[in-house]
Amino acid sequence: MTLAALVLAALPAIAHAVPLAPEDGASPNADDTTAIYWVMLVVAAVIVVAVNLALVAAVVRFRARRGREATRMRAGRRVHARVAALLGAVATAIFVAGVISTSQVRDVEPSGPEGLQAASTRTAQLGVSPPAGDGQPLSMLVSGQQWLWRYEYPDGTFSYYELVVPVDTTVMLELDSTDVVHRWWVPALGGKLDATPGRDNQTWFKAEEVGVYEGRSAQFSGPGYATMRARVRVVSVPEYEAWLDQQKADIQEAQDAVQERVQQLGGRSVAEAVQGAEQ
Amino acid sequence: MSTPPARISPARPEIVTERFQPRRPAWFELASSGDHKALGALYLGAACSFLVLAVVELVLMRVQLIVPESTIISPEIFDQLMSTYGATAVVLFGIPLALGLISYIVPLQIGARGTVFPRLGALSFWLYLAGGITLYASYLYRPPDAGTNPLPPLSDTVFSPTAGADAWIAGVGLAVLGFVLFAINMLATLYRRRAPGMVWRRMPPFAWSATLIGYVLVVAGSVMFAACTMLMIDRQFDGVFFDPGEGGSPILWQHLSWFFFTGAYVVVLLFAFGTISEILPVFSRKPVFGHRAIAASLAAVAPLGLLAWMHNMYSAPIPVGWEYFAMAAALALTIPIGVLLFNWIGTLWGGVLHLRAPLLFALGAISTTTFGLAGELMSSVIPIGWQLDHTTTAQADTYYVLVGGSVFGGFAALYYWFPKITGRRMGEGLAGGSFWALLVGVHAMAIGMIFAGLEGQPVDVYKFYEGEGLAAYNLIASIGSFVLALGVLLTLANAAYSARHGVETGADPWRGSTLEWFALSPPPPHNFDVIPDVRSAEPLRDIREFVRRRTETWEPPRPVERREPEPAANPAKADAGASEQDSR
Repeated sequence: MTLAALVLAALPAIAHAVPLAPEDGASPNADDTTAIYWVMLVVAAVIVVAVNLALVAAVVRFRARRGREATRMRAGRRVHARVAALLGAVATAIFVAGVISTSQVRDVEPSGPEGLQAASTRTAQLGVSPPAGDGQPLSMLVSGQQWLWRYEYPDGTFSYYELVVPVDTTVMLELDSTDVVHRWWVPALGGKLDATPGRDNQTWFKAEEVGVYEGRSAQFSGPGYATMRARVRVVSVPEYEAWLDQQKADIQEAQDAVQERVQQLGGRSVAEAVQGAEQ
Repeated sequence: MSTPPARISPARPEIVTERFQPRRPAWFELASSGDHKALGALYLGAACSFLVLAVVELVLMRVQLIVPESTIISPEIFDQLMSTYGATAVVLFGIPLALGLISYIVPLQIGARGTVFPRLGALSFWLYLAGGITLYASYLYRPPDAGTNPLPPLSDTVFSPTAGADAWIAGVGLAVLGFVLFAINMLATLYRRRAPGMVWRRMPPFAWSATLIGYVLVVAGSVMFAACTMLMIDRQFDGVFFDPGEGGSPILWQHLSWFFFTGAYVVVLLFAFGTISEILPVFSRKPVFGHRAIAASLAAVAPLGLLAWMHNMYSAPIPVGWEYFAMAAALALTIPIGVLLFNWIGTLWGGVLHLRAPLLFALGAISTTTFGLAGELMSSVIPIGWQLDHTTTAQADTYYVLVGGSVFGGFAALYYWFPKITGRRMGEGLAGGSFWALLVGVHAMAIGMIFAGLEGQPVDVYKFYEGEGLAAYNLIASIGSFVLALGVLLTLANAAYSARHGVETGADPWRGSTLEWFALSPPPPHNFDVIPDVRSAEPLRDIREFVRRRTETWEPPRPVERREPEPAANPAKADAGASEQDSR
């Protein structure tokens, strides 16, 4: 009894110290996942505890002793039909809950009031792709390659390693791969999704808090797989726009430098110049 | 209580010659044998050898993951270990261990003198061994490194140009082809060689599991053989089955390979379930509770398990409707597996439990697989699967099921049938040590992995970083895997020692009720001198009951009047009469 009390007293401390559910709290789809996760955790725990308790009880009670005879367990007729019906009801309930939960998680929410709005965005003026805002999602092209992620923003700007998104804005991710199968996963922003070459795959999130969310690729993709990280930096809308301008300017600068170098090399392409230098 | 048979047909010697003088060395006899017992022993020996390799690989991988950013093992070697480990644990150990015991025991259980296609059985073993050797021979040049399940395009020639990937594909392909041939032979035997009266409803649960395993292997094994062939064509002959650039589909490989690996999972589960259903009644001294419900549940597990293959692919670009279908199949498994658990507890309840090694390991198998299957139940719900699949959390569930099924279940079967195979019993002391090491080891390893996965650790990584909160969990998991390895080795050592020095037992050390205990231990080449008529699901119990009644009602024969023999007029005639009487 004392032991049991000690264990019970220790449980909250243990529960505080270890993760009992996947990370969440940053995006509605991750929160919906956690809700069904807790339900199923209770179901699984009940099954595990019931079966193991029954096994232990059977061993303690019915261990062979001198002079005891085996007696058949008394069970009503059609007991198996009743057990199967009960289990069938549980499985059906889980299935229905699973379907509801899946459609909730897949259901893309509109952007919130603090998010990127059409009026405040300059991406709209570029006319590269449909603008975000007024609840419209911001569409990002996420491309996996050995062993990093490349992000392409609606206006054609791109970045590597880190995806920068505005807060409270719905972000649609279009996943694609240029080489092998990769798997996108930032737990706080929802579940995994494959980036398969030649096949598009879509997911979404809406980051509710400013911050940095770490993720990892979850599909073995070669020797550098363990180092393949995904990072999402959520910033306020003005910061996002400033970052986008800066990134665009940086890219332009780098491209200009390359162009200049090409002209120095006499109009040959860089590849040709390198070949020439080698010969 | 089944009524004892009114009459058992009198014993007639049906085989006259017991054995010829062997003309060839023993190893040659074994290697060229088509006898189901010799093949069973070969399968068991090979499976246990590959188990040792799998354990070594697991331990090496866990050594690398003891501390963050570890450099004990290079990433290349880690990937090679990981890529061979998956195929070894499932294809070279899990399935063949089940097949070895099926090959040895099932023909005995159904009262057969042999299998229908002995040479096909032999071919099946040698194909499987050739597959294992093909895979491991790659360590002489360049081992595979494209992952536990080498998904194209990673496994095509662009990203895996070395011959290691070919070794994986050829090795697994050969082994599964062997399994398909084995299944055909065993199914034919189960249909054509049953003892008189052994109708389907009187089949022992293990033999019934073997039937279902046969069907699952024919279906899933052929699919995997086809998939391996296609990938080989892609690699060697410029095929485009899985090449997205040429209109091929990388998703196709995922469907085919997951269909097989899910089938392998089902094989391991059916084998463990059949073994448990066989052992529990014997060691609780009462008939199995709900024989028919168990048979029906096993029959339901096989197709539902196969149909749930897409629950490994929730994150792949497939229509959500297919995912619902996979979830439905996976959740439907709750019903037969729940009924099985109910029946096993019903069998134990009220029994007289003799906690010998087979029962101990069978209880361990029930407990451990329940942990894993409850976890699988969770991640079969689609959003939870999106979060947990391909993390160490989901991998821990897989370990629970495979260790519970193949190691606990397999060892339970080994402890139970070892006296039949060798005529000797395995030591109980080492068995207890092995059991507790396995139990502590699997839980420590799985709990560490579960928390690491919830903290965000994906599968198959060769390192994790400092300051991610993963260090403690990985340390616990590593220690757990070492204890688990110790538990495996204790039982293997026990088997190796007991094969020579174990306590000798008679034909029926456990008071079993199925026909394999009617044969001698080890059984003679033809298994049975006399094949008894089967009148119930517990034929040996009937025979025991019959003998008991015979003994009780036996009366000494009346003294026979002694008469002087008449003097033989013709000695030759008298001899002829005597030999005529003998042959009758």
